[in-house]
Parts: sequence; C-alpha cells; structure tokens
Amino acid sequence: MAALISLMIAIPLIGAFIAFLTRTREQARSIALLTSGISLVISLILFSRFDSSISTIQFGESYPWIASLGVSLKFGLDGIGMPLVLLSNLVIPLTVLFAWGETKEANKFYGLILLELVGVLGVFTSLDFFVFYIFWEIVLIPMYFLISIWGGPRKDYSAIKFFIYTHVASLVMLLAIFSLYWNTYQITNTFNFDMFTLLKNYSLIESSIFKDAIFLALLFGFLVKMPAVPFHTWLPDAHVEAPTAGSVILAALLLKMGGYGLFRVILPILPYSGSPGKLISLMAIIGVLSILYGTFLALAQRDLKKMVAYSSISHMGYVTLGAAALVPLSVSGAMYQQFSHGLITAVLFMSCGVIQHSAGTRIIHDLGGIAKHMPKLAFLMLAGFLASLGLPGMSGFIAEFLILVNSYFTLPTFVILALFGIVFTAGYHLWAMQRAVFGTYNEKLGHIHDGADYEVLSMAIFILLIIFFGLNPNPVLNMMTTNAEQLLKFVVLRGVIT
Amino acid sequence: MFSDFAALIVLLPVIAFVLTLFLGKKLPHGGAYLPIAAIAGSFIISLGIFLQIYPEGIVQQSIPWFAGMNLGILIDPLAVVMLMMVSFVSMLIHIYAVGYMSHDPARPRYFAETSLFTAAMLSVVLSDNILQFFISWELVGLCSFLLIGFWYHKPSAAAAAKKAFLVTRVGDVLFLAGIVLLYVNMSDIITSRAFSLAPGNFILQFKSMFDAIPLIDKTQLTYITLLFFGGAVGKSGQFPLHGWLPDAMEGPTTVSALIHAATMVTAGVYLVARTFPMFVAAPDSLLVVAYVGGFTALFAATMGLVMNDIKRVLAYSTVSQLGYMMLALGTAGAVVGAKAVGISMFHLISHAFFKALLFLCAGSVIHAVGTNDIREMGGLFGKMKITATTMMIAALALAGIGIPFINIGTAGFFSKDAIIEGAFEYGEKTGDLIPYGFAVIAALLTSIYIFRLWFMAFTGTPRSERHSHESPGVMTGPLMILAVFALFFGFSQTGFYHYLETNFELMGVSIAAHEGEAVPPPIIVVLLPVIVGVLGFLISYAIYHKRMLDMSKLISSQNPLYKLLLNRYYEPKIGADLIGVKLTHNVVAQSGEFVDRKIIDGLVIDNIISNTLFQLGEVVRKLQTGVVQNYASVTLLGIGLLLVLLRIKFGGT
Repeated sequence: MAALISLMIAIPLIGAFIAFLTRTREQARSIALLTSGISLVISLILFSRFDSSISTIQFGESYPWIASLGVSLKFGLDGIGMPLVLLSNLVIPLTVLFAWGETKEANKFYGLILLELVGVLGVFTSLDFFVFYIFWEIVLIPMYFLISIWGGPRKDYSAIKFFIYTHVASLVMLLAIFSLYWNTYQITNTFNFDMFTLLKNYSLIESSIFKDAIFLALLFGFLVKMPAVPFHTWLPDAHVEAPTAGSVILAALLLKMGGYGLFRVILPILPYSGSPGKLISLMAIIGVLSILYGTFLALAQRDLKKMVAYSSISHMGYVTLGAAALVPLSVSGAMYQQFSHGLITAVLFMSCGVIQHSAGTRIIHDLGGIAKHMPKLAFLMLAGFLASLGLPGMSGFIAEFLILVNSYFTLPTFVILALFGIVFTAGYHLWAMQRAVFGTYNEKLGHIHDGADYEVLSMAIFILLIIFFGLNPNPVLNMMTTNAEQLLKFVVLRGVIT
Repeated sequence: MFSDFAALIVLLPVIAFVLTLFLGKKLPHGGAYLPIAAIAGSFIISLGIFLQIYPEGIVQQSIPWFAGMNLGILIDPLAVVMLMMVSFVSMLIHIYAVGYMSHDPARPRYFAETSLFTAAMLSVVLSDNILQFFISWELVGLCSFLLIGFWYHKPSAAAAAKKAFLVTRVGDVLFLAGIVLLYVNMSDIITSRAFSLAPGNFILQFKSMFDAIPLIDKTQLTYITLLFFGGAVGKSGQFPLHGWLPDAMEGPTTVSALIHAATMVTAGVYLVARTFPMFVAAPDSLLVVAYVGGFTALFAATMGLVMNDIKRVLAYSTVSQLGYMMLALGTAGAVVGAKAVGISMFHLISHAFFKALLFLCAGSVIHAVGTNDIREMGGLFGKMKITATTMMIAALALAGIGIPFINIGTAGFFSKDAIIEGAFEYGEKTGDLIPYGFAVIAALLTSIYIFRLWFMAFTGTPRSERHSHESPGVMTGPLMILAVFALFFGFSQTGFYHYLETNFELMGVSIAAHEGEAVPPPIIVVLLPVIVGVLGFLISYAIYHKRMLDMSKLISSQNPLYKLLLNRYYEPKIGADLIGVKLTHNVVAQSGEFVDRKIIDGLVIDNIISNTLFQLGEVVRKLQTGVVQNYASVTLLGIGLLLVLLRIKFGGT
C-alpha cells in the first residue's frame, strides 16, 4: 500500500474539480463530504500504522518532477507532520458538515474548501522545499476567494490585506529558500530542493551574518502566518469578514502552517545559526508578547468573533514559547498546542457563526441571555470556551501545562509572565459568556432559534475530540515527543543550552 | 475487598452525572435518585475501605499517564475520613434537594451538576499526585461556576458565577506556578542524581514529593509551599481572595450547603493538610498560613455581625471557620508537627456537619418564608419546630458550647477549642500571642452573629404576613441526621487524633517531632473559649431577643464602622470595579487596542509601509506594459539577479 499520502492529497483535489462542475448544492456538498471523508479514512490508516517510537520519515514517496532544477515530488510523515495531517482531515469534513446549509454559489464554496485541504495536506507532507512552497502558496488562493465572495461588508479590504500580508511574508521566506538552495549547489555542485539536504547544509554557510539573515527571513515567514505579535493585524480583520467556514479553516489549519514551519525548519537550523542565543531570546519574547498582548486585546473587543481571533494569537504564542524553550517536552507541548488549538478554535468560530446567523449580530453588548432560546449552542459554546481557557480534562490544558512546566527550565522569567495571562484569559472568556449568553434575554433580538442539527452535530464532535485528547494525549503526544527529542539532540550537542 | 473498587468512589457519581444529564427529564424527580444512589455507593465503598484499612493501612493504586506522570489513588487515614465525610454529607444534601428543588424545571441539570461536583471533590481527596489533584480541583471550580450560575438568566447569578471562577482562578494560577516550580526542582535533583524515584513511583506523586523534601533547596521549598497556599487561599476563601464566597449565594441554597460543607472550600485546607510535610519543612510558610488563617477568622466574623441576608451571615461564618482550620495548621503545625493535621481536619469535619445543617436549615426557612432577609423573618419557632431546634443545635456547635473538664459538648466545642488552645500553646512557645488573640476575639464574634441570626429568625413577632410551615420530611430528615452528628461527633476526638497522627509515617515520611512534653494549658485558657461563646449568646439574647439595647444608633449609615462592615470593607469595589474593570479593561486592554489600531496598523502599516509602496507603485506603473510574458520574464530576471547578487556577496568561491 504505497502512495497513500499522494492518494490522500489527490482525492480531495479531484473532489474539488468535480464540485466546481456540479450544478446543485446537494451534489457539491455530498462530493465535499465524501472526498474529505475518504481523505480522513486514509489519514486514519496512516495514523494507525504510524510507529511512534521512531523519528525518521515514514510512508515516504518520491517521484521525479523537474529534474533540471532538482525538484521532485517527495512526501512523507514523521511525528511533526502526522498529527497535523490528522487534524486537517478532521477539521475539513466537520467544517463541510457545519456548512451543510450554504446556498450561495455552493459548488465553488465546497470546491474551495476541498482545495484548502489539498493545500494544507501538501504543506504538512512535502519534503521538497520547492513543492512545499507551492502548496504554501496554494493555500492562500482559496482563502482569498472564501473571504472575498462569502465575506462580510468589508470583505475586499480584508481579503486583500490578508493576501498581501501573508504573500509578502511568503516571498521573504522564498528568498531564504533560494539562498539555501544556492548554498547547497555550491557545496555539492548539484541542483537539489530536498528539504533535509538544504537544512543540513545550512550549517556549512560560512558567514554568520548571512546565516542569521536566512534564519530571520524564514522565521518572519512563519511568524506572520501564526500570527505572532507584531505581525498579526491581518488576522482579526480577516476573521471579522470571513464566512464561518473560512474562519474555522483559517484558524484551525492555516495558522498551524506557521507553527509547523517552526518545528520543521526553524528548530533544525537554530543551533547552527550565527547567534543562537539572541535568536532564542527573540522567539521567547515574541511568544510571551503574543500570549499577553493577544489576551489583553481580546479583553478589549466588543465583537465576539474578533475576541476569538485575538484569543488565537494568544494561544499560538504558547507554540512559539514552547518551541523557543528547547526542552523536549516543551517542544512536544508546543506541537500538542497546535493540534489542540485547531480543535478548540473550530468550536469557538462555529459558535460565533451560529450566533451571527441566528441573532444577526456578534456584538457582545447587543446580545444577552441567548441561552434561553439557544440551549444547545450555549452548552457547546460554554464547553468550547472552557477548553479555550485551559480547563483541565480538555486538550488545551495538556498542551499549556507541558509548555509552562518545561519551559521553566530554560526560560523561567518568560513562564512567570505567561502565567499572569491565565487569569485574564479566563476573564475575557467568562465575561463574554456572562454578557452574551447568560443573564436576562435581550428582547430586542426578537425570536431567535438554536443552531441547526448539522451545526450542533459538528460542534459536538469537536467537543468530544477535545475531551478525548484532554484525557488521553498519548496517541498523538508520543510521536511528537519522539521527534522533539530527536530535534533537540542537536541543540544539546551544539551547547546552545546545557 | 473494598479497595479493589476504590476508583468507583469517583466513577459512580461521574456515571450518574452523564445519565442524569441526558435521561433525567424522563425520570421521576429529575433523576435525583441516580446521584443519590451513586453517592451512597461512594460512601459505602469509602466506609468499607475505612473498616478494611483501619487502624494503619493505606491503599495505593497507580497507572502511568502522559509525559512521565500518572493517575492514581492514595487512600490514607487523612483521605479516608475526608471521603466518608464528603460522600455522606453530599448524600444528605442530595436527599434534601429532592424536596428543596421539587418545583424547579431544570432539576436534571441541577442533579447532574451536583453529582459531578461531588465526583470532582472525591477525586481531589483520593488523588495520589499533585497534577491529578490540580485537575480535580479545577473541575470542582468548574462545577461551582455552573452551580452558582445555575439560574443563569438572573444577571446577579451570572456575575457571581464569574466572580467565583475568576477569584479562585487567581489562586489556581499560584497553585499551578507552585507545581511548575516543584516539577523543576524535582527534575533537577533527579537529573543531578541526588535523588531517584522509587520503582513504580512517578515524579509528581505525593510520596515522591515527600521523599525529596530534604534535597530541595529550603528557599525553593518556601516558594513552592507559599504558592500552594496561594491556591488554598483562593479555594478556601481566605483573605484577600475571600470575596467570591459570600457572593456565591446566588445559587440554590443546597448548592451553598455543598460548597460550604462537603465540597469546594474545604479543598484548600485539604491541600495544605495533604502537602503538610512540605509545610513543616518550610517554617516561614507555616507562619504565613497561621497569620492569614487567624486574620481571616477575625476579619470575616466582623462582617458576619452586620449582614442581613441569612445566607451571607453563614457565608462569612464559613470564611471565618476556614480561617480557624488554617490557623490550626499554621500554629499547631509549628508546635506539634503532624498532629496539627488531625486538629485541623477534625474541625473541618465537625464544621462540615454543623455548617451543612445551618445551610439546610436556612434553606428550610427560605423555603417557608420566601425571603433571605432576616429582618423580615421572626417568630418562626412555633411554626417550624424541627428547623428551629436543629438550627439551634448547629448554632451551639458553631459557637463551641460545651462543659469543660467533664468534656460534654457539641462537635464545635471539641474541635474549635482544640484549635484555640493550640494557638495558645504556640504563643507560649514562640512568644507570639497574636494568632491566639485573633482566635479568641473571633470566637466571641462568632457566637454573637450566629445567635443574632437565630433570635431574629425564630423569636419575636412575625414580620411577614406569609403563611409559613414546616418543610416536608425529605428535608427535615437530613436536618435531624446532621443534628445528631453536630451534637455527638465531638466525642470521637481522641480516636480521631490518634488515627490521623501517624498518617504521614504510613507513607514512610517522618516529620521531625518537637521537643518537650505537652504541658496542660492554664485553666483560664481552657475556659476562655466557652466563656466567650456563652458571652456571645448572652449579648445576642439581650439585644435581639429581649431588646434591652437600642441598636438603631449603631446601625445607621452615619456610623462609619457599620458602613465599612456593611460594604464588606469595600472589597467588591476594589476587586471587581477597580482591578477588574477600570485597571484591566479600561486602562490595559484599551491601550492595547489603541496600539493595535493606531500604531501598528495605522502608523506603521498604512502610513509608512503602504505609502512607500504606493509611491513605488506609481513609478512602476509607468513601466508596466500589461503583457503577462513580460511580468514572467521580469520575475525570473529578478530572481536570477538576486541569486547572482547573493553569490557575489556571500558565495565565497
């Protein structure tokens, strides 16, 4: 059973084209659910066959492509990619289910969602830098259209801002990739885009300034995507205007590409950079800044969805912090945070979507007491919010606990700062619940109805997954830990940390 | 053997939670019998384990979890007495709630949540490691949030639920920080090979923690214990994180009874007791525990004097009594070591009986008269004889009334007086009599406020037109059972102390015994707690029953002291308004928003970067031809040029 990975990517791609060609929304959404469902099944097969005890690439595939440039289609999975592939394949079918009622240009809508799946799966499995970059860029295009066609009133501004922002970051990253490519050519005298070769040869660059420049260019590309403060302002705008399905995919999957880059690209080269100490501090500062800044900005928001958007920035800050701490369990905690945040944030954005659809507004002060008419939504939203504020028993706690405890070994001051954020994180979540969902019903809202069955079902599955991975983290955590340990062997060998 | 089923102590109420939540609507009484049966099962198993392990056995079970940590069960004397108390009192409260909540349409949700609440508390008690303890502790907090906000459509209930969660969250973060610090210190001594985990032991297990105490740096140990205590301060409503507890009255009265007696607030005291060997090794922390506890005992009692809401009086009473328990751990801990755990836990359990009774009586009264305000009650004695009598028993127990020397008295007489005497002993040894002073004055105030409440509610002329009646048997039954315990539990004192004395030795942890033989305290010290208790009774009798003193001068908004107490030392204003809204939201969050919109987006992105690019674009626009091939070739040319430049600059060859 070779070629499972390319099959997993090809099926939603074919599905996307079929969906574009369908004439009714029933056909389009069935195709979307079917093909993303098949992709999910394949990823579950991969997951069940995955050996968590080895850190090398599994299920590797390689096909020649542009031989003259040294580009080939190489795919494979390790403990860094496997959980995110699983996450992507969970999020997309459930998003299709959630958006079962979409009527506007349904064939394009579902087709674009499938293309997103193709893009993120490509990013998380490609082992050729050139192909990686193509998938990285492919992801942007469907998202641009999802925002600009199905978006809110200021959709054009937001879509363009999203596109330019992340595209500029991608270009900076591309320059760095080319530099690595050139560097390898100089050493081996062959053209080769193989990711591991390029990263391995990074250490052979002589100029330490040049090393740092490449490092920073790559880091910039990933941090914008995550997004980390101060490169984050595209995110709230994009979310405010994006349709719910777009927001879910953006927050649950696209942001994870940035974090993935940290583990796949940044950590392997960090010990060989010109000034690793300073770069670690830089990452740690950006991580903690994102945690606290995201939290306080979330506190200031009046729009529920914008608040959730800022909470993503805060949660992704934990990923940067855990990665920067360079302790095996802090790094695997950071990986776990990526996985967990993908599940949790989906519920949060879905809650915003159901409320917007039913009540016609997301402004917290204009809501109030909606639990009275939306009990199912209130229940699921409360569960999601509790998960987001780090309640034990849910997946977010495992991640944040691992990050906080283990980062303390190398970055104690930063951990203490991050701990301050926890109370305020609970604060904005509960404040929003109290004002929007509980209390006396705001009669001005008129008669509102609860979420549709498919929406409730989709959210409920996410909640069950959050609880499952909150009680039993080992299935994904073990493979993460294996790879985190392998990554950090080199860090210790280089004496970056002792 | 019962110990094989130890996990069911927690799992039974969890199963009841799920079943009641989803099936409760279809069952009689909102499915109340499911949690009652489940918790009765927990109680029976706990009792069975107690009988099995008495006098000096322990139950330990453990399975690995994630990242080198474990899930496990530790039932030692400390845990087993707690388990029996929590499940027993919770069961009685659940039975009472069948009557009390009989008219509420949301009963299934109520019984599901109280069942989970009990499960979480039982899980706190039998955790064998600090992480599982913390997780259960947080779930206790979650359930209290859900139950305080049970009537979530009431804005005040929603606000109180949030306040409870956030204020305790401050403590939780400190607790978590303590765990972080502990983990790091444990890892360090393991890495440096100074310490190795015993086979089958895990890093955050209590046993491993205690074994490592001598190897952990003393300053670090002080920090760790102080941070743990920070968690306890939040959960157990100690000063300055006490404010959430009186507000938590927004939930049903049965929830208050659960929070104040069986679950939640005692978890803080239990945390200090559970990790007591660490506190003993960090005397500075013990001193902080003693002072915070003593001060809270007095501070909360002063507010209890002036509250008019029957449940608020009881809430401040709880805060004050929890202060006593902390005081016991702090003062007696410094004098008699591990015996302090017995003294404190004895009061915790005796308090659980009489405080649950007080709340359930209050609920019975509220049920009958339809108000919480004791100024609108009065003359209820004739109509509610069982409630009035059982509440008097509870009040006598709270005030610690009994007869010294022949040792006959209420539960509180044994448990509280032991704490006050312990504080005196501490004062004698260290020359620091301040905690003792706190304890004695608080005892006087306790007696005044509780009898004030009783006289105002049950004697005098009725101040309400409402036809009041005694509650049904399903409610008075639990009252009478609890009254029996409030009266007679005290007689188990000697056996109880003896049973808990060796608690930590059973785990192989020895706590340094203190020098010197116990000297019986002077007679006046033995008598004083009872004297102030009786004095308080007489004062209240004179003022509120016989009306011998006119209080209207004192109780007026002109009196600054009265105003200060009635406004609860302005704690809600300082906490919620000043720190919560003004500082956090208006200052910090809003300035963040300003930076985001005006500086990062406005100044940097829009003005500097966009404008520069726009100018550049104007120049480029003149060069553009609109032919795709040209763009492509320019792009390629650009990349090629870049590669060449890079090569020249850095290539070397």
